[in-house]
Amino acid sequence: MTRLHRLRAPLALTACAGLLAACSSGGKTSSTTLVYTTVSATNPITAGAPMNPFNASGNYFPGFDTMQLGFDKQNPTNPEDFFPAIAASWTITSSGITVRLQPGAKWSDGTPVTPADVKLSMAIALTQGSATVGAGFLTQGLDIGSVTEVNSSTIQIDQAAGGSNLDFGRLVLGQYIVPAEVYGSLVPSTVWDTITDLTSTDAATANAAVTKLNAIGKIVSSFSPAKDVSAGPFVVARINPGSAELTRNPDFYGVAKIAPSEVILRHYSGNSDIWGYMKSGELDSAPYTSMPTNILDAVEGAGYSRIDTASYVDAAIAFNESDAPYDQTTVRQALAYVIDRQAVTKVGEPVGGTAAADLTGMVEAATKQWLTPAQVSSLNPYAPDQSKAASLLTAAGFTKSGSQWLLPGGTPWKITLQTVSGFSDWNAAATVISSELDAFGIPTQVKLTSDFATYKTDMAAGKYAVGFWLIALGPSASAAYQRLYGQDDGYTANADGTVTHSDGGGNWQHTPTGYTVGGAPIDPGQLTAQLATLSSTAARPVVQQLALATNAQLPVIPIWDYTAVDFTYDKRFTDFPGPSSPDINGLMYDGPGVWMMQGYVKAK
Amino acid sequence: MRTLTRLLPKLAVGLVMIWAVATFTFFLVHALPGSPGDAAYENYILSGMSPEQAQAKVSSIYGFTSHDPLLVQYRGYLWRLLHGDLGQSISYSGVPVTHVLRAAAPWTIFPALAGLVIAFLVGTSFGAVAAVKRSSRWGGLLSMSGSFFAGIPVFVLALVLAFLFHTEWNLLPYGDTSDVTLTPGFNGPYVVSVVQHAILPVATYALLGYGAWLLTMKSSVISVLGDDFILAAELRGLRPRTRMRYVSRNAILPMFTVFALSIGYLLGGSVLVENVFDYPGLGNVLFQAIGARDYPLMSGAFLLITVAIVLANIVADLLYTVIDPRVRR
Repeated sequence: MTRLHRLRAPLALTACAGLLAACSSGGKTSSTTLVYTTVSATNPITAGAPMNPFNASGNYFPGFDTMQLGFDKQNPTNPEDFFPAIAASWTITSSGITVRLQPGAKWSDGTPVTPADVKLSMAIALTQGSATVGAGFLTQGLDIGSVTEVNSSTIQIDQAAGGSNLDFGRLVLGQYIVPAEVYGSLVPSTVWDTITDLTSTDAATANAAVTKLNAIGKIVSSFSPAKDVSAGPFVVARINPGSAELTRNPDFYGVAKIAPSEVILRHYSGNSDIWGYMKSGELDSAPYTSMPTNILDAVEGAGYSRIDTASYVDAAIAFNESDAPYDQTTVRQALAYVIDRQAVTKVGEPVGGTAAADLTGMVEAATKQWLTPAQVSSLNPYAPDQSKAASLLTAAGFTKSGSQWLLPGGTPWKITLQTVSGFSDWNAAATVISSELDAFGIPTQVKLTSDFATYKTDMAAGKYAVGFWLIALGPSASAAYQRLYGQDDGYTANADGTVTHSDGGGNWQHTPTGYTVGGAPIDPGQLTAQLATLSSTAARPVVQQLALATNAQLPVIPIWDYTAVDFTYDKRFTDFPGPSSPDINGLMYDGPGVWMMQGYVKAK
Repeated sequence: MRTLTRLLPKLAVGLVMIWAVATFTFFLVHALPGSPGDAAYENYILSGMSPEQAQAKVSSIYGFTSHDPLLVQYRGYLWRLLHGDLGQSISYSGVPVTHVLRAAAPWTIFPALAGLVIAFLVGTSFGAVAAVKRSSRWGGLLSMSGSFFAGIPVFVLALVLAFLFHTEWNLLPYGDTSDVTLTPGFNGPYVVSVVQHAILPVATYALLGYGAWLLTMKSSVISVLGDDFILAAELRGLRPRTRMRYVSRNAILPMFTVFALSIGYLLGGSVLVENVFDYPGLGNVLFQAIGARDYPLMSGAFLLITVAIVLANIVADLLYTVIDPRVRR
């Protein structure tokens, strides 16, 4: 009895905990609401952040409560291919874009979406660090010169005088549209005069305009609206520190297509959070998450279906070409023959990666769209072949002492392969690559940098000779090659069509300014800079030249193309987009809000 | 008056310590390699953003990154600090640091305190039992349980609890502070939901502290049991229950100091626990701030932890004089 008396308090606590646990029901749904639960990959909920799309940590959810004129279809050869959103249709010309608004588009407070909202949103876009002076702005920037209301549902948006950015239409369509009623007071009425000053021939006036716009931008991005006013299918009802509740917007122009009455968005801080939610069946769909095969098995076992699409990012091994021997093309080619990309991908990114096949600086899906079949088959696949690697090295003056390769000077060749702590796929892959190089006779040590910010700083300082790097960013060839030869490597495109290069101001790779491909000299920086100003048809031969040059010169060795592996769960909803749905790459990229707008996702 | 004369020097020393730590952490966080933009761009790309969207976000962050010389920034930081302003967060695009910390603080303070109190009550009670019954099976089992929980790394314990109670058995919610569909306020469903969501972090704090409290209390009780005054009490025929009261009161004295200090240290320890449970408290904010190189937010969070530890020290000192009359002499 005495013993029981002493244990009274802990027993009571345990009983309370048990009772509460028993009361818990996980993701619960009332009988009157149809709740769709998911995670926003690009916008995890951030406690304390405002509901503002211009805030870097803002709690806003594109496709649900935050709308653009259109949503990107991720078409590599047609960058202006978008799903309609606030814009029902548009016409793009060399000087600008004419946008026709959705008939009946309204904000969630019942007021119509007007050309004034679009005009203000474009001005705000220019305050978010987009406004600069100089040539880059006119060739690659969001160089808006004017926004004119043609009628109550049509807007004409033109490039600034002298502007020649062929991506202008794409950039405009991708801007967030916010209500003038909410954001209008943050922007002075003279903002368009300031924007006009950006292209002033007087440098002081132009620079003052940038400063003014940036100052407005800071006010806009730190602004915290009292409530969400949405033109999308949903509107935020409540934001918790770890989840957001959005209710269907009855004023949404396409509300008839929207089946869920509510959306719950869960916060996540790492992949394992999403895996946990899926294993317990909480999510109706989940965005791309890098995962090992045992997790994939558990997730599929829980009833999720997998949809694989191109993600337009490659993991690659990059070189600092100012460090010998990596300045020699034959050395990089030899290493490509030693590394078995299939084996590395199997360990590094078994679910969300496909071994890089073409080695063109673009992902395979883009390569196949830009190059002719004959060109694709002419690419060197660098299939694992140690004898080819050995003969390339021998021809370059390398020798072998026992099982160890020596540099032309006779010193042992050792590689330090740099990667980043926490990037589990890169680290696992680095271990396999190091074993393969060790076995070939090049002792390789894998070194981890504590985090990505440090990695990037050290890289720029030239501290690493060989390391992992992301390439082929985005579906457009221009963006992909910018990463290798463009702005990132110190090139600037000028308005007059010329390109200037300053070594040291760019990235860590220090690629040469000229290549010889098929006997003809090319300047990859010049070609890349041109891409931004060329139409899709005119860009094709340039992209082809760059792809062939990259395949031959290998400034990087692409290891795998990331695959976007999304998951859907058909226990509560049906009619999800599937592998055979049109524009599936874009749908998976844009997320469930856009699926619903397109008529997908129905109650089961 | 006597308390005031004892308190004032301690407060003065505390303020100097806060200034010293604030200065040290200010320069420390700025010495971290990388800049806010560097940290962000690739993370945005990896999360699936287009290069244009990622660049726009980085530009927004860049606008809030000070480019003044470090000493000028430091002077500004101290000046703002004197006015109670911790600056603007970089990764939150200019949202005041105090706002971000204020939103996160309750979700660390209450679970950490609840865990600490539960661990203290259960641990010291069981520690006293383990000492008195040290030759019995019960005593041995209690000591073993203390050693077991004291030996588990916080990260492992949190992962095991998350895996079992959320992922495998789906008994407890995870990743938020309450069910978002409930109206916040002092109403039954909301309070129950908050408690449910806090069970896993609270249990982690409690189980972690339990082992240490049990073992410390056990050795303290054993040491007091050997004191002459207990022998004298036993010889004078005092009832075991009365004797135990004397033992406990004397054995628990050092625990109070450790208890007060633990409050401060728990705030620092919340980084790991909250990260595992994705619980949106100060620890999670600090973790994100370090990754994003958000210098003002990092400095603010470190300062908050420093202030908590310094205050806890002062409270522990004062408390000791209250509970142990010998110190007052």
